[in-house]
Amino acid sequence: MRPRVAVAAGGAIALVVALGACSKNTGEGTTVDSERKQTGVIATDPKDSQGPAAEVSGAQKGGTFSVIRESPISHLDPQRTYSFAGLMANPLWSRYLTTWKDDGKGGLVLVGDLAETPGKNVNNDCKVWEFTIKDGVKFEDGRPITSKEIAYGIARSFDPDLSGGPTYIQEWLADTAQFDTKWDFKKNKTSLPPGLSTPDAKTLRFEFAKPRCDLPFAVSLPTTAPLPADKDTGVDLDKQPFSSGPYKVAKNQVGVQITLDRNPNWDANTDPVRHQYPDQFVWSFGPTADAANNRVIADNGADQSALAFNAVPASLVAKVAGDASLKSRSILSPTPSANQLVINNQRVKDLKVRQALNYAIDREGMVKALGGQTVAAPLTTLMPPATIGYKAYEAYPAGPNGNVDKAKELLGGQTPALVLGVADNSTEQQQGAQLKANLERAGFKITLRNISDDAKLDEIKKKDNPWDLYLGNWAADWPSGASILPVLYDGRTIKAEGNSNQSYFNDPAINAEMDRILAMEPSAQGPEWAKLDERIMKEHAPVVPLFVDVAYNVHGSKAGGIFISSVFGYPSFVNAYVKP
Amino acid sequence: MSRFLIKRLFSATLTLFAVSVLTFLMFFALPRDPVTGMCPKNCNPERLERVRDDLGLNDPLVSQYAGYMKGIVTGRDLGSAQGGRCDAPCLGWSYVSNEAVSDTIARVLPVTLSIVIPAAILWLLLGVGLGMVSALRRGTWLDRAAIGFSLTGASLQLYFVGAVLLLVFVYNLRLLPVPSYTSIFDDPVKWASGLVLAWVALAFLFSAIYARLSRAQMLETLSEDFVRTARAKGLAKPKVYGRHALRAAITPVVTIAGLDVGGALGGTVITETTFGIQGLGRTAVDAVRSGDLPTIMATVLIAAVFVVLANVLVDLLYAAIDPRVRLR
Repeated sequence: MRPRVAVAAGGAIALVVALGACSKNTGEGTTVDSERKQTGVIATDPKDSQGPAAEVSGAQKGGTFSVIRESPISHLDPQRTYSFAGLMANPLWSRYLTTWKDDGKGGLVLVGDLAETPGKNVNNDCKVWEFTIKDGVKFEDGRPITSKEIAYGIARSFDPDLSGGPTYIQEWLADTAQFDTKWDFKKNKTSLPPGLSTPDAKTLRFEFAKPRCDLPFAVSLPTTAPLPADKDTGVDLDKQPFSSGPYKVAKNQVGVQITLDRNPNWDANTDPVRHQYPDQFVWSFGPTADAANNRVIADNGADQSALAFNAVPASLVAKVAGDASLKSRSILSPTPSANQLVINNQRVKDLKVRQALNYAIDREGMVKALGGQTVAAPLTTLMPPATIGYKAYEAYPAGPNGNVDKAKELLGGQTPALVLGVADNSTEQQQGAQLKANLERAGFKITLRNISDDAKLDEIKKKDNPWDLYLGNWAADWPSGASILPVLYDGRTIKAEGNSNQSYFNDPAINAEMDRILAMEPSAQGPEWAKLDERIMKEHAPVVPLFVDVAYNVHGSKAGGIFISSVFGYPSFVNAYVKP
Repeated sequence: MSRFLIKRLFSATLTLFAVSVLTFLMFFALPRDPVTGMCPKNCNPERLERVRDDLGLNDPLVSQYAGYMKGIVTGRDLGSAQGGRCDAPCLGWSYVSNEAVSDTIARVLPVTLSIVIPAAILWLLLGVGLGMVSALRRGTWLDRAAIGFSLTGASLQLYFVGAVLLLVFVYNLRLLPVPSYTSIFDDPVKWASGLVLAWVALAFLFSAIYARLSRAQMLETLSEDFVRTARAKGLAKPKVYGRHALRAAITPVVTIAGLDVGGALGGTVITETTFGIQGLGRTAVDAVRSGDLPTIMATVLIAAVFVVLANVLVDLLYAAIDPRVRLR
């Protein structure tokens, strides 16, 4: 493996930034925690990828840990898992090539999971990657996990019948978005997709047509969960996945309850992240968010060791935040889900107008309109604070409530008439009303236009959409700038419809800079993305960053070890335990 | 009798056919594209189009409808992406919950039946009983209390009554477990204790209407000639009220009960939501929200079947209760 750039002590590259928008629950209401630091690292020392995971203070074995959620998990099959609930539950029964060591306090380290390290960039060009599989990793029936089963897992993700999962690796291997037509899984079950090979039982090799420097991150998604070909039950794997993780599905009452028992063939010594504290996990589905949270707050019987997976609903926020006895049972944490007021740069071409919008924005008012800091935390950057290399800045410093005078000065007496498209759901309607009042104070003339909630996402992805402004959200699949800035701001990707670049921002110099950073080692990219983030905002102001979503969850008095994943922003179960 | 039954079943089939056609057409009038939800983010339009093709959503509406109805009668092959062969009555494959819709229905229908049937027995006994007593004791404190009870029940909402019951009996007094569904065949006690609050809430609200209706009907019947004649002939009061007056007074109650129970069996969405139980009602609402056509079709059709069957049953009961009615 090529020596990583700027290797820090302990074999890790630590990118430390101040996270100014994090919150903590003090038990006397919620306050901003300005002390929290966000660190993002890629492990270079194989020891970081070795098990066992550090013991969780106070944790002990035994008991049943319950998770209550309104809707069932859409897929248990790892190759089809992409919903947040799925991504949080799946590590209980699936292991991947790499995974995140997450301390729940902002510290993230990408480590090898089934692989001994987070990958070897063979020619230092990000086109050829090799992963060496650990010894001693096993499936639930005791047979060893080799590179063959991991490759088979990736191969079956090409099957169009098994839709729903992430498609990064498939598209990169096939070098086209139409990966399932380029390589037909059903006709080639005994072979592997182009570019994927297993030179031996311990080695998995990826060869790409283009540099894919984010591969170590992409293989942390469930696409790389292993599966023996003889255990592939197609769409029925959703009912009974074959475990490689610390738990296995003992009983699955589809849509009602999933019971997980310990997997006796999982070896803690091979796993740097997961634990196996509870005897059982029980996921129950059905109760509304209100009912689930009320149950957990009431703290009766089995609910004492339960977590309400649905966030504390608005109706219960005051009760939970105001009850000192719930302090130790609630978790409040910012998530990587970033929200912007997206400016349609094809329509709003005047930079001064875009800058004036940035000066005028009242983020504090927006957060209040949404329900306060248990729901949202202000954001002034393009990338959320949980991103590797993140650097806090304010391109248009205007204070928490905006600076309408500065905005008016930039507008020079003009009163730009802008159309703000808002979905016809209650949240966006509230936000729309708040934004209209806010921006009109600064001299804009805002016309609100409703968009059908169901159709909004499709509509704003159309290049020729008729709105100047709309609300946008992006939650990246891994905390790297590469999964945010090129996706949202590379103008070369703009097409007639289905655009992720919803601001339709296109600047050749910025595009070239993205190419330069993408060609770098992933570990060195972090600070470069942060610099580009600031540059885009200062030079072009293509959007108005608004806020990150905040996770607010409650658990029972006997539930321990739960933290909010710094990667996905939802409760993680790798450290979960039941208190005596 | 048999002629009546054949006629009613024929008209019931026509009703169900009309309901199924309308539901199908209404679904395609919705702005939501069901395929969008199946595709991960960054899903490109070409891929979306192929998924639509695979699911047959690009086929002509008539052929999609015919395929669906054929599946109910003979079963059909849904393809490997949708679980393969789907035996009759095949209600299709839900691409939202990723299972055969018949499996979903088999899971949620017993929940709704378990809520509605005991609750209906409770509200009919309570409502009709109170109405009768109130009519027979007209003007007494019992009558006033019954009227007060029915006014209270009729003016409250289920989500409020349910929330109060939950707060008192589950969260504060902790006398009952958190509402949940357990099969009566697995554990009858757990089944009852998990659903009793839903029964009580439904019964409280519904019985109020039945108490008022029964009271009014009973008072009207008691003033009729045949009651006076029966009394004049020397028949005992219990026999007059119980056998003669009650049978005449209860006919409209049976009509309303048939519609109410039939409708409730089609989905008690507010009850299920209030008590956090996943029955047919919540499944239907979830399906509408997520644009899950096969599940929408199945839940609407089942609800329609219940309403239609309840009406047939009401007609049959008419004849049994009131000898003046003859079925033709």
